[in-house]
Amino acid sequence: MLNILVSIKQVPDTTNIRINPETGTLIREGVPSIINPYDVVALSLACYLKNQFGGSITVITMGPPQARLALKEAMEFGADRIILLTDRKFAGADTLATSYTLAETIKYLERENPFHLYLFGKQAIDGDTAQVGPGVAARLKVPVITYVTKIENIDLKEKIIILHRKTEKGVEIIKAKLPVLITCEKDLAKSPFVPLSEILKAVKSEPEIFAADGPVKFEREKLGLKGSPTQVKKVFTPELKKDTLIYDLSTTSIDEVVMKIIHILEEKKII
Amino acid sequence: MESYSFDVVIVGGGPAGLACGIKLAEKGVNTLLIERGRFCGSKNLFGGVVYTSSIKEIVPEFPEVSQSPVERPVTEEGYIFFSTKGVVKFFHTKSDSQEAFTALRARFDAFLSEYALKKGLLIAPKTKVVDIILENFKVSGVIVDRPRSFKDLRPAEVKAKIVILAEGVNRLLTEKAGLVKGPFKPEEVVLAIKEVLQLPKGELEKRFGLNEKKGLAAELIGEITSGLPGTGFLYTNTNTLSFGIGIFLNTLVNSNLKPYEILERAKAHPYLHELLDGAEILEYGAHLIPEWGLQGLPKLYGNGVMVVGDAAGLVNPLFREGTNLAIYSGIMAAETALEALEKGDFSEKTLKSYEERFKESYIYKDLLLFKNLKKFLLNNRQIFETYPNLIYEIFSLYFSAQGQYKKEVVREIIRTIKRKRGLFGVLKDIINLGRLFW
Amino acid sequence: MKEVWVFIEQEELKIHPVSFELLGIAQKLAKDLSGKVSAVLVGHNVKPLVEEIFAYGAEKIYVVDHKVLSYYRHIPYVYALTYLAKKYKPEIFLIGATTLGRDLAGGVATLLETGLTADVTELSIDPETKNLLMTRPAYGGNIMATIVCPNHRPQMATVRPRVFPIPEREEGKIGEVIEEKMELTEEMAGVERIGFLPKEKTVNLEYADIIVAGGKGIGGKEGFEILKELAHLLNGEVGASRFAVESGWISYEHQVGQTGKTVRPKVYFAFGISGAIQHRAGMQNSDFIIAVNIDPEAPIFKIADLGIIGDWKEVATALIRALKNRRGS
Ligand SMILES: Cc1cc2nc3c(=O)[nH]c(=O)nc-3n(C[C@H](O)[C@H](O)[C@H](O)COP(=O)(O)OP(=O)(O)OC[C@H]3O[C@@H](n4cnc5c(N)ncnc54)[C@H](O)[C@@H]3O)c2cc1C
Ligand SMILES: Cc1cc2nc3c(=O)[nH]c(=O)nc-3n(C[C@H](O)[C@H](O)[C@H](O)COP(=O)(O)OP(=O)(O)OC[C@H]3O[C@@H](n4cnc5c(N)ncnc54)[C@H](O)[C@@H]3O)c2cc1C
Ligand SMILES: Nc1ncnc2c1ncn2[C@@H]1O[C@H](COP(=O)(O)O)[C@@H](O)[C@H]1O
Repeated sequence: MLNILVSIKQVPDTTNIRINPETGTLIREGVPSIINPYDVVALSLACYLKNQFGGSITVITMGPPQARLALKEAMEFGADRIILLTDRKFAGADTLATSYTLAETIKYLERENPFHLYLFGKQAIDGDTAQVGPGVAARLKVPVITYVTKIENIDLKEKIIILHRKTEKGVEIIKAKLPVLITCEKDLAKSPFVPLSEILKAVKSEPEIFAADGPVKFEREKLGLKGSPTQVKKVFTPELKKDTLIYDLSTTSIDEVVMKIIHILEEKKII
Repeated sequence: MESYSFDVVIVGGGPAGLACGIKLAEKGVNTLLIERGRFCGSKNLFGGVVYTSSIKEIVPEFPEVSQSPVERPVTEEGYIFFSTKGVVKFFHTKSDSQEAFTALRARFDAFLSEYALKKGLLIAPKTKVVDIILENFKVSGVIVDRPRSFKDLRPAEVKAKIVILAEGVNRLLTEKAGLVKGPFKPEEVVLAIKEVLQLPKGELEKRFGLNEKKGLAAELIGEITSGLPGTGFLYTNTNTLSFGIGIFLNTLVNSNLKPYEILERAKAHPYLHELLDGAEILEYGAHLIPEWGLQGLPKLYGNGVMVVGDAAGLVNPLFREGTNLAIYSGIMAAETALEALEKGDFSEKTLKSYEERFKESYIYKDLLLFKNLKKFLLNNRQIFETYPNLIYEIFSLYFSAQGQYKKEVVREIIRTIKRKRGLFGVLKDIINLGRLFW
Repeated sequence: MKEVWVFIEQEELKIHPVSFELLGIAQKLAKDLSGKVSAVLVGHNVKPLVEEIFAYGAEKIYVVDHKVLSYYRHIPYVYALTYLAKKYKPEIFLIGATTLGRDLAGGVATLLETGLTADVTELSIDPETKNLLMTRPAYGGNIMATIVCPNHRPQMATVRPRVFPIPEREEGKIGEVIEEKMELTEEMAGVERIGFLPKEKTVNLEYADIIVAGGKGIGGKEGFEILKELAHLLNGEVGASRFAVESGWISYEHQVGQTGKTVRPKVYFAFGISGAIQHRAGMQNSDFIIAVNIDPEAPIFKIADLGIIGDWKEVATALIRALKNRRGS
C-alpha cells in the first residue's frame, strides 16, 4: 500500500496568454484555468502507482475558491481525498510562505498515516520558480529528487525507490529510501484515459476546505503576504530598443549585403 | 464492475442539450448529460446573437444574472452591402435593448452548464458517446469512449430509458439511431469561419460609436464572399469583435479556396480594412450550420430516442435563429420525456408527442415558410453578386444628384439597373423571392 | 563588510560557466555596496579550483571539502550552504539557475527563512535603499517583474545562465581562503547515485559563439541542411524556433527560447523567424543579431542589429559561397 500526496496548482493556461500592453497586466478574460501541466504528470503518476500498488491519493492545493475546480478534476485520477486551502490570509504568498503552508498541512494530514511519496510538479508554468517542491521537502526533512523522468522500481517492503532524474549532463539513476519528495518532469507519466466511473465521481465531489484558523494550526505571521520576504516592486513590459540597420533586397544588391555580413564577422574576429 | 443507469441520457452539452437537462433536473429526473469537450462550450462556436425570450424559458432571471454570459445588448442591427467600390448600410437603431445580446459560445454554454449543475443536472465532460445501444428495436442507452474501470478497459455502457440526441450538426448518432439516412450532403450545410478580433483599446467604442449599453450586429452581403454564395457577420462584444463568413460547403469545396483565405480576402475590402485596422486575432474557428431544412429533417423521435437542436437541423439563418430553436426543441423534448416517464412508456407511441409539439410551434411553421429559400439562393447567385453592387450604384447616383436635372438621375438609375440585372430580372427575382413565402 | 556570495557550481572539478558570469555581476553589485565578492566552493578535493575562482574576481573563498560532497546531492549541499550562510551572514547570495542550482536554492532559502527570486535576468542595487533589485520574466517573458527582499538576509536569487557576460580572467590574483570543517554522513544524504547515463551527443548552443537559427520560413528539413552548412563554415551551431522543432525539421536540443535554450552568441542569425516574444526571450541578449525575413513588419527586426528584408535562402547561399571563396583564396 502506497500513500501518496500530490500538491497541485491551478494556473492560467499560459499557452494563450495575453498582456494588456498599456497596463502590463494579464488579460485573464477568456484565458481558461488549468491544472499546472507538470502537476497533471504528478497526478498521472499517482494514478498509475495506486493502481499498481494499491493505497491512497490525497491531493492538496492552495488557491482562490475557484481552485476547487482543479481539485475536482484531480478526482478523475483516482484521488481519495481532495483538500482546498483557501483563505484571504493565505493570499499573496511567495514560495517561502507557500511551502510553509503546504508543509504544515501535510504534517497535519499525515499524523496517523504518513505518506510514502510527495509528488510535486517540476515547476508551475505561471511563476516558473520550481522552488516550492524543494522548499516543502526542506521543511518536512525528507530528501527531494527534482526533475524525475522515470520510476524504475519501488520496493515497498524495503521502502526503497529507484528512479531517473534529468540533469544538464545526462540522467542520474538514484536510489533513495522512502519517504521522498519528487518533482515531476513532463515525460514521467502519461495521462491515463480515466474510466467513466472516475469522471462521474469527480463531478459529484467537493473538496474539504481548510482555512487559516483550522484545522491546521499555523503561525499567522508565516502565512500569505505577511509571511513572504519577497515583494514585487514593479511590473513592466520589456521594451524593444535598438538601432537596426535595414537592408532591403529589393533595393540593395545581395553582394552588398553579403559584404556587410562578412565585414561584421571579421570585426568580431569570427573569420 | 460499475454499471450506470439513468432515466434520461442527453448527448451533447450545447444549448439544446442543456435546456433539456435543466428542465429535467428541475423536475428531479435522474439525468446524465454527456459532453465530449473539456467543458460545455469548449468545442463550440457561433456568430453570437442570442435572444432573451428563449433564454428566459430556462433561466427566468435572465438577463438579471450574476456573471452574465452575454456581451452587449444589440441596439443597432442591420445590413451592410458591399460593392467593389464601397458600401451601403441599412441600420435600425434603438436607444437600448433587452431583447437581443451578443455572446461568445465558451462563456454562454459554460454559464448554462453552471446553471444546470445548480439545478442538479449531472454532467460528464470529456466523454464522447461513440454508439447507441439498441435492444429489441428500442434505444436503451449509449456507449462512451471511456473504459468501465481502470482494470476493465471495455468501453462503458450507460443505460437509459430515454436518450436525447443533442449532438449538433454532425448528427452521427442520429444516423446510427436510424432517424436519418446517411450523412448530409455538402449543399446541405454552410461552413462558417469566424474570428474573434481585438482592436486597440478604446477603438471599438470609437469606430462603432458605442457606449457600454450599446452593441451592433451587422450582416454583411456582397463583395466579401469571394464571389461565393454566402453572407458575413460582424458583431460587437464587450471588448472584442466577432467577424465571420458562412459559405455553402459545396461551393466552397469547388472554389478551391481555403477557409481562412475567404476571411483574409474579405478583410482586404477597403471598408473592412479600415474598420478592422490594427485588430489582433484572438480566436479562429470554423463550424458547420445545418441548412437541410424541412427536406432533410430527420425523424424527430424513435423508440426511446429523440433528437433536438442542430442535430435535427433547426436553424433559420436569415433571422440568426439557432440557439433559440435549440433551446425550444430541448424544452419540448424534456416535456415529452416527463410525460413518458409518468406513463412508464418510452416507445414511439408516447414520444410522438414531441413531434406534435414541434409541429404546433413556430419553428416548424418557419421551416415550412423558408423551405425553398436555400435552393433559391443557390440557384440565384446574383443575389450575392449583383445586388450589393447595384444597390451601391443606385445610392451613389442618388447622392451625387446635386446640380443635375433629377429626371436624368432617375433615368441613369434605371439604366444602371438594366445594365446590371435588367428590369425583368429584378422583377423576376422579387416575384420568385415573394413566392417562397406565399 | 557586506559580502556578495556566489555559489560555485562544479561537477567533477569542472566549473559551470554560469559561476564565472555570476562572479562578474557580483563584482558590480559589491562595488555599489562597497562590499566584497566571495565564492562558495563545495565538493570533494576541490582545492585545485581556487586559483581559477580568484582569477575571475572572487576576493574570498569559503571551501567545504568532504567526501559526502563528492557529487551533487540536495541534502548535504543544502546543509553546507545553510551552515555557511548562517555563520557568515552574506548580504546577497547568487546561484546559477541551472538544473543543479535550482534544485539547491529552494532548500537553502527555506532553511534560511529568506526570500528567493528564481531565474533572474537583471540585477542591480537600489541606490537609495541599497536593496538588491532582482528582475525576472514572468508569464513566458510577456512581462518583467522586479522583485525585492527588503527585510530578510541574505537576498537570494537564481540567475539565468548567459544573461551576464563572463568577466576577463586576471591571472595570478589571490585572496583569502576560509576552510570550514563539517560533520557530514552518508546516511544524511538520503539518496545515492547508482548509475549515470551521459547525454549522447550534445548540442552546445548555450555557449556557442555563432548560432545560425531558422524558423518556419525555412520551409523544411532541406532548408536546415543549408543552415548546417553555414554553421559549419562559421564554426557555429544551428538553432531553431519552436515552430521548426515542432514541425520535426530539427531536434529539440536546437530550440532557442523560453521553452528552449537561452543563448548569448557573438552573432545570432535569425533566418525566417518572426521573433515571437517567447523566441526573443532566449536570444535577445546576443551581442549581434542578424535577421533575414521577407516580412518588413516581423518583430525580429525590432531587436536585430542588422535586418535584411528578403528571402533567407538567397542570403544564406550567397553567404556560403562568399565564405567558401574566402577560404579558397
Ligand atoms: C458561425 C455561426 C454563427 C451562428 N450564429 C448564431 C446566432 O447569431 N444566433 C443563434 O441563435 N444561433 C447562431 N448559430 C447557430 C447556433 O450556434 C446553433 O444552432 C446552436 O448552437 C445549436 O445548439 P445544439 O445544442 O443543437 O448543438 P451544438 O451547440 O452544436 O452542441 C452540440 C454539443 O454536443 C457535443 N457532442 C457532439 N457529439 C457528441 C458525442 N458523440 N458525445 C458527446 N458530446 C457530443 C458537442 O461537443 C457540442 O457541445 C450560429 C452557428 C454558427 C456556426
Ligand atoms: C508557452 C509558449 C512557449 C513557447 N516557447 C517558445 C520557445 O522556446 N522558442 C520559440 O521559438 N518559440 C516558442 N513559442 C512559440 C512562439 O510563440 C512562436 O509561435 C514561434 O517562435 C514561431 O516560430 P517562427 O518564427 O519560426 O514562425 P512564424 O512566427 O510563423 O514566422 C515565420 C517567419 O518566416 C518568415 N518567412 C517566410 N518565408 C521566408 C523566406 N523565404 N525568407 C525569409 N523569411 C521568411 C515570415 O515572414 C515569418 O516572419 C512558445 C509559445 C508558447 C505559447
Ligand atoms: N499554491 C500551491 N498549492 C499547491 N501546490 C503548489 C502551489 N504552488 C506550487 N505548488 C507545487 O509546487 C510545484 C512547483 O511550483 P513553483 O515553485 O511555483 O514553480 C508545483 O508544480 C506544485 O506541485
